[in-house]
Amino acid sequence: MPPSNENPGSSTPRKLVDGSLIFLIALGVAGGIGVWVLRGPDRFLEILSHELFFSAVLLPKILAGVLIASALPFMISRERITAAVGPDSGVRGLVIATLAGAIIPGGPSVTYPLAVGLMAAGADLGAGMAIVSGWVLLGLNRTLIWEFSFLPGDFVVLRWLISLPVPILLGLAVRRIWGKMPP
Amino acid sequence: MNILIGTVLLGLGAVWMLRRLSRTRPGVVPDVIARARQTTIFMIPRIFAGLIGAGFMAELLPVDQVERIFGEGSGVWGVMLATLFGTLTPGGPFVAFAIGASALKAGAALAPLMAYITAWCVFNLNRTLAYELAFMGRRFTMIRHIISLPVPFLTGVLLLAF
Repeated sequence: MPPSNENPGSSTPRKLVDGSLIFLIALGVAGGIGVWVLRGPDRFLEILSHELFFSAVLLPKILAGVLIASALPFMISRERITAAVGPDSGVRGLVIATLAGAIIPGGPSVTYPLAVGLMAAGADLGAGMAIVSGWVLLGLNRTLIWEFSFLPGDFVVLRWLISLPVPILLGLAVRRIWGKMPP
Repeated sequence: MNILIGTVLLGLGAVWMLRRLSRTRPGVVPDVIARARQTTIFMIPRIFAGLIGAGFMAELLPVDQVERIFGEGSGVWGVMLATLFGTLTPGGPFVAFAIGASALKAGAALAPLMAYITAWCVFNLNRTLAYELAFMGRRFTMIRHIISLPVPFLTGVLLLAF
């Protein structure tokens, strides 16, 4: 059911409580019990307050990212996005998506909303896969700042070059297996 | 500090986009706001639950033992183990890269290191649980993980071949 340009499709699943949330909560409870028993209540409270604080600090950034993702489908015409990274964009579209994923600076709270926004605006599942894979494997921000400061330069370059074609191949595989259906 | 800069840049981007939309297509702005609110309500419990759960799990993983297992001559087995550890390594990039660097110093081969770093990049359970499920949904997350399954292993084995 491809959404029209006037009212682009929704960008996230709508069920507030689903299996994934229950799993996350179960993981948190199990981990919390483990830390409480093995490391003591003090460490439990320390981690809990640290993560609560970090989550709260992250909220404004997430809100801004969500706003951008929500506005994006209305900003660029569906035709242009579909032409660039839509189901019929071919390898060229996957290259564009991969490079976009590699170049976009910022962490998961930036890249995922952007991928969601582009997919709501006409990018297909293969291109979405190439954006996310391009970011996780090739993200320049992370590689330049973190990877080069910890690991030998030749190793980093080798890893980057080996990974370079991977997002495109994954995008092609997804298009072949899951067809050209809209995300 | 990084978070602050990112927040300011993203905030400016959001304000710029909303202002542009309110000038060019004022009719759609309430729709954008409603959509953003809906998505945010969807995400907040997942972000909190995911980050807190990942924080507890990080405490329980025996990170100090990781470097012992990437021994030289560990071959395909080492690559497989490294792939698993990369997936399970919690925390930001500095954690995984620091563990990789110390493993290298302790005499780990390049092949398991490659598999470890690639697995952390691609799968990173922490990020998947806290962010990818929340933003991308279950279907996308599952498809991406299934299709990426051989990638870290193959990059490691590629290095074994040299």
